[in-house]
Amino acid sequence: MATLMEISSQPDTAGETESVQRLQQQFPGAILATDNFRGQQAVTVKAERLLDVARFARDALKYDLLMDVTSYDRLQLGEEPRFVGVYELHSVQHNRHLRLCVPVPDDKKPQLPSVTKIWPTANWHEREAYDLMGIRYKGHPDLKRILMPDDWVGHPLRKDYDINREQVPFTVNWGDPEFENMGQQILEPIVPAMEIPDGMDHRHLVINIGPQHPSTHGVLRLITELEGEKVVRVDPDLGYLHSGFEKQGENVRWKDFAYYTDRMDYLSSMSNNLGYVLAVERLLNIEVPPRAQALRVIMAELQRIASHLVALGTAVLDLSGTSMAFLMYAFRERELITDIFEMVSGGRLTLSYMRIGGLADDVPPAFDYKVRQVLEVMPSRIDEYDRMLTRSAIFRGRSVGIGVLPAADAIALGVTGPMLRAAGVPYDLRKLRPYCGYDQYDFDVVTETGADVYARYLVRVNEMRQSLRIIQQALDSLPEGPVNVDNPKIVPPRRELLDQDMEALIHHFKLWTEGMKVPAGSVYSATENPKGILGFFLVSDGSAHPYRLRVRGPSFVNLQALNEMAQGQYVADLIASLGSVDIVLGEVDR
Amino acid sequence: MDWTYLLIVTVKVIVVVVGLLGGFAYMTLVERKVIGRFQLRIGPNQAGPYALLQPIADAIKAVFKEEIIVTHANKVVYMLAPAISVGFALAAFAVIPFGPDIHLFGRTIPLQIADVNIGLLYILAMGGLGTYGLILGGWSSGSNFSLLGAFRTTAQIISYELPMGIFVASVVLGAGTLRLSGFVEAARPWYMWIWLWLSFPFYFTVMLAETNRSPFDLPETENELISGFQTEYGGIKFALFFMAEYINMITASAVMTTVFFGGWRGPFVAQWPLLGVVYFTIKTFILLLLFLWVRASFPRLRYDQLMSFAWKLMLPVSLIYLAITACLVVLV
Repeated sequence: MATLMEISSQPDTAGETESVQRLQQQFPGAILATDNFRGQQAVTVKAERLLDVARFARDALKYDLLMDVTSYDRLQLGEEPRFVGVYELHSVQHNRHLRLCVPVPDDKKPQLPSVTKIWPTANWHEREAYDLMGIRYKGHPDLKRILMPDDWVGHPLRKDYDINREQVPFTVNWGDPEFENMGQQILEPIVPAMEIPDGMDHRHLVINIGPQHPSTHGVLRLITELEGEKVVRVDPDLGYLHSGFEKQGENVRWKDFAYYTDRMDYLSSMSNNLGYVLAVERLLNIEVPPRAQALRVIMAELQRIASHLVALGTAVLDLSGTSMAFLMYAFRERELITDIFEMVSGGRLTLSYMRIGGLADDVPPAFDYKVRQVLEVMPSRIDEYDRMLTRSAIFRGRSVGIGVLPAADAIALGVTGPMLRAAGVPYDLRKLRPYCGYDQYDFDVVTETGADVYARYLVRVNEMRQSLRIIQQALDSLPEGPVNVDNPKIVPPRRELLDQDMEALIHHFKLWTEGMKVPAGSVYSATENPKGILGFFLVSDGSAHPYRLRVRGPSFVNLQALNEMAQGQYVADLIASLGSVDIVLGEVDR
Repeated sequence: MDWTYLLIVTVKVIVVVVGLLGGFAYMTLVERKVIGRFQLRIGPNQAGPYALLQPIADAIKAVFKEEIIVTHANKVVYMLAPAISVGFALAAFAVIPFGPDIHLFGRTIPLQIADVNIGLLYILAMGGLGTYGLILGGWSSGSNFSLLGAFRTTAQIISYELPMGIFVASVVLGAGTLRLSGFVEAARPWYMWIWLWLSFPFYFTVMLAETNRSPFDLPETENELISGFQTEYGGIKFALFFMAEYINMITASAVMTTVFFGGWRGPFVAQWPLLGVVYFTIKTFILLLLFLWVRASFPRLRYDQLMSFAWKLMLPVSLIYLAITACLVVLV
């Protein structure tokens, strides 16, 4: 279907309004309310009619990409009913966005119909919502916990969940009976009988690839069913790195969550920062000055190059073993970029350079020179990769036709980023829904048609070239001026001012004692991260803390396609496919 | 039997074994250094000047590591497997001439442990037997990853022994002998040398597979099978497998030196026979570096690709090469 199709380059707001009207005409009783906040259309749908509305939205209105399924608990908002299911729909073809809000009828036993039949990508999202919010999805093929352990009691994202329940031992509470057994090791090894997971054939070999395995890019466990060396089924087991960022977000101030985003996809912290601050800025309805925008673009594109370098390096590592030299070549180039990051933010991995309302600080004078150095060096280095890999017969033999995920399947599974573009869909939010002034720059959306591991490799390599183009343009036309909005209620005053200006001192005091207030409402904001679309769904109740903060991690969604890609291929291809997804477990588990 | 003969053989065996073990130890260092340079790193540089004490540190570490035997393992076979690997790897070197005859105390001492008349066949046999170490080790570990590694070893050996045997047969046809010292002394016209060297890339490729080196290190494949057949091995037992791999690599390079590049021959060997040992070492070392170069440059083949490569490309090529060699030998 969607091979190199025409995609409208501007967000189709008129079409979005029209979609809402058509839904109202089609389902007069089912649409309870409509809402347009910060230019985003939201429709409140009755839970009983959700499946009909969803099917109509997909088939008639062409909302083919289900971006996110989530939910929030309105207990402290005092609204009825308590739970609301949220569905973020996107139309790839028409470039439209629509949110369905579905109040969950029963507060005691919340249940919604599952939309996995309509959008397969809902599978993991619904499992996550079940796991963390406790909403049951009727008709879900395999509704079980996904991030928390199977024997966990309670659902952490509910507002009445006691976050202090799990004690951490400190000297003050060391006498607590909970810690009596601490320090006593299990001396006798217990060898449990191997249980074949549900749905797997006992005549096949079932192996655990991970959580301690060289190629799982972190702590991921792939329960793999093998027939000989052929993969029959892969069942990823997640949650080893689950750190509850979404719950944390509800307990820190708006400003402070930016630091958490660094730790999600730690290979592209600049891009995560950008995604988060843009979401909050949309809620605040502010726009940062041009210089900050251009600098944000430069940083995001540098980060894209850095992230792709690691992706390529590790993907090749997965095909060749630790002795192959390419990984270190990629890291040599990445080093130049991390040096720039260190120069502007002081960090090399977790940066937190972008702040709500602008940037942490302006760039130092040497910035220009350093970035130009990257611009000068990188093209020849990318050509070197071409010589080393693109034309290598062994590399092609290992990657062409491996892990194929055609465009239709990719969209159905919610796959975005280089994986979707490798299937021939020119879907790139920088072009389609430009943010940070991406529309000022001239660049191409890189696509390939192979939809395999090799195509994903090519997309990443060529995207680095396009990123260099963007950086070049942004750097050449970098405007002068402030890098923060002129609003002391959002951006803290500079340190010098505190000694001279009483008003600055008061603002500073207010910002640090009460925090920044964000208007009530809910927004969804998506940015094109190196790995795919990073979405933030924010609900604000007007206070200094997020009321609900949902992260749609591209790695999480893209990983879901692994089973699809690896079935029927060899173990070695499973590893190659996994490498081409480019996951970071910090983001998968969040 | 003359007791001095026995003494001389014993001394030669000790020299060769010590030389091989030393070669193994320092080969690991060379490999880490060279691969490090390929990867824009420095490599080990802490233990002693130029990290020359690194192998000793590694050996001490391997010996003193806690010995862990997996509960599921078949213990006898599990312990025996590394020994089998190392034993046959060492034994294979016995027939390789590493220098010309030297004259000491009025005796002529050939610098070769045993100049048997079926030298090349012996090497093939030892290589085949050494594989049992890998297979048994993988099978007895009681781990699925090890088992998959062992299966792959079996399949790989069957696929690669065949073209290797045929290439060896054609080399033998050219030289007219199976005796390895015969290869060194074989006088060929120049076109036969060129014809011989034409088969070197193929033979080298086969040798990469035979010694389980990248890009054919499928029994190990750390990216898929963690460490393949040796996943459950640790400490000195793991070191023994490691040792077997490197000694096999040294032996393979030594055989290629002997068969393709005239063994210990070189200028001034007639005057100073010990120079032959130096030439032999240098030639072998260059071939060993070739192994490392390949390792740092190529992605790994997939298991089925390796099989089709062996059966669909190497086997026909080796057969054609054998046929043409036979014609050349008869006609020219």
